[in-house]
Amino acid sequence: MPLAFLAVLWPALFWDRPMETADTLRKAGIERLCVPAGQEQAWRKQGFAATPFDRARAVQAAAPKVEYHMDVASATRVPWVDANGWRFEREPGRAFFYDARAGSAVLAAAEAFAYGAEAAIFAAPEDLTPFEAMLKFLAEIDQPRMPAMANIGVIDDGSDTMAEALNLLARHNLLFHVIPSADPKYDLNIRHVPEAANPYEFAMKVRRDLTDEKRLLRIFGSNVVLVRLTGDGQQARVHLLNYGQAAVKGLRVRVLGVYAQGKLAAFEHPGAALEDYSAQDGATEFTIPEMNAYAVVDLKRDSKF
Amino acid sequence: MHRRTFLQMAAAAPATLAAADHKLPKYRVVSHYPAAAQPGMPGPYSGHVASVHAAKCMDENTEKPDPATVRDMMTRGMRALTSDADVRDSWARFIAPSDVVGIKVNCSGAPGIMSSPVVVAEIVRNLITVGVKPGAIWIYERFQDQLDSVHYDRYVPDGVHIWAAETSRGSAESYDPATYVETVFFNEDDTRSNLIRLVGNRFTKIVNVPNMKDHGAAGVTGCLKNIAYGNFSNVARSHSGSETTTYSFIGTLAAVEPLRSRTVLQVMDGLRGVWHGGPFSPNRKFRFYPKRMMFGSDPVAIDRLLLDIIDDKRKAEHAVSVWDRSAKYLGAAGDHGNNPNLNEFVREPGHIEYAGSLGLGVYELDKIKVTSVEV
Repeated sequence: MPLAFLAVLWPALFWDRPMETADTLRKAGIERLCVPAGQEQAWRKQGFAATPFDRARAVQAAAPKVEYHMDVASATRVPWVDANGWRFEREPGRAFFYDARAGSAVLAAAEAFAYGAEAAIFAAPEDLTPFEAMLKFLAEIDQPRMPAMANIGVIDDGSDTMAEALNLLARHNLLFHVIPSADPKYDLNIRHVPEAANPYEFAMKVRRDLTDEKRLLRIFGSNVVLVRLTGDGQQARVHLLNYGQAAVKGLRVRVLGVYAQGKLAAFEHPGAALEDYSAQDGATEFTIPEMNAYAVVDLKRDSKF
Repeated sequence: MHRRTFLQMAAAAPATLAAADHKLPKYRVVSHYPAAAQPGMPGPYSGHVASVHAAKCMDENTEKPDPATVRDMMTRGMRALTSDADVRDSWARFIAPSDVVGIKVNCSGAPGIMSSPVVVAEIVRNLITVGVKPGAIWIYERFQDQLDSVHYDRYVPDGVHIWAAETSRGSAESYDPATYVETVFFNEDDTRSNLIRLVGNRFTKIVNVPNMKDHGAAGVTGCLKNIAYGNFSNVARSHSGSETTTYSFIGTLAAVEPLRSRTVLQVMDGLRGVWHGGPFSPNRKFRFYPKRMMFGSDPVAIDRLLLDIIDDKRKAEHAVSVWDRSAKYLGAAGDHGNNPNLNEFVREPGHIEYAGSLGLGVYELDKIKVTSVEV
């Protein structure tokens, strides 16, 4: 796919290593770079599509990963997930920087792409080849962006408590928009999170108030896959991000609304197809036989792709 | 407040104990399978148990079973259950030559305790005797690593399938997305427990082979627990803190079609047992040797007898009863494995009576007919 076609908001490698590392990048197939301001011309002379990136002005994103804290009791025994979707929703239009040198660059690229976030990602040299493979996969599945779908509206007061509440809503796949004021188009409007509130309990209350039946998207078979849903009424795209180290097998997905057709694209699983597809009783369900870091499912109301 | 900070604080607070008068979760059972005219559970021998004891069936020092004695126990137990003179007629009451038979073993306590390969091999031999082809016999369990550790392949003829649902823990591809129980216990995100696909699309009959074990959450684990938690995904979600929902979840799962209809025979392997720390058995001091097998079609009746076997043994060892719900016996994580007077959870032995209330069998002792056999 020509680079010019790619959306402006596109994850790219951040590289501040010496020019002598150019061959390392070429061997990995890297063509596009974000580099510290002032270095772009030198990299362009080396044949790279280099753009300056001001790391100091970017929002720091967490290296995406999952952590199993066996020594810490939890209400649900679910692992911790470090994810940035809530940050992207909270600060649209900002540039983000990932220091993803601990093996999470591939997932970081997928995460930023799924949310349409402008992101520069620092990857370890040993991760460059899979990172580039992910960028190629993203290029293959790229399409005009559709609006994010959500039925929870959150009026963000900017507080740390709210930040954690947003994080946990996203962690539990409760899809929300950050909005300036209450809007009746949402099934649930969240105006305030009490400062003393327990963010986890708050997120669970939101879930109960909304009810699982009204959730736009649910997954079964993994507790480390987070989702984003975009759509325009006639079609929808489900982004599935696997924050765990292992492949997820047999992931069941339920999307509210009846879609006649679904098509799967799974990173590192070319030719994979949806299984056990069902569209009835106001919802669409399907199984993803296996996925690694990222998969997308495109759904259409009509029966033609 | 940061999420992690909160959860550390929460861990210091006393957990809420399950009330003795259980508040039942709201279950949604989804299955398109119809019930058989006579479901396998409780089956034709509702309220009837054949209980066979043989002092020679196992060497307590080596923990090795004696195959000849096991064969004798199974022959006489099946005949006692059905009142047939020929054991082939007994098996033919449950299994037809055209059946595809799943043998649900229990390997969670291996290598300390599991459905003995000698017992399973004898079941396979009887199935073949009534005309079932080896290729139509499936020895199965949920977890590959546990199943592999037992090496059933060394005991059964070529062609018998040895199969696990989860080649890696948590993988869901071998479960039926259209047959499940949906409920929320402890705010878990994944609210479905799905039935193993083979139960619906391959097996026509199931033989259940549990052990005699104490269970930290359910009180005991026998027929019901093995057939319920051993055939559905995502069941560990029923335990949180010191609380479990096994009271109603076990029976609810066991009653799902087609599992209920196709599970036609219960063969409880009590050559050895676990009186504390179950379902696992890393500590030999908690194993004992009932040297008993029980046969029937009624899982509730067999498990009702099991309750007394485990609790009597615990009483003899001066351990707290499986019925005790006191918080003072709740131990810190890990401690319960070494101390028989500490529990990990408030136990729910009432799950057996609850399953009886769902029609899965007879719970009342005075209504259970036990045919005892001494070999």
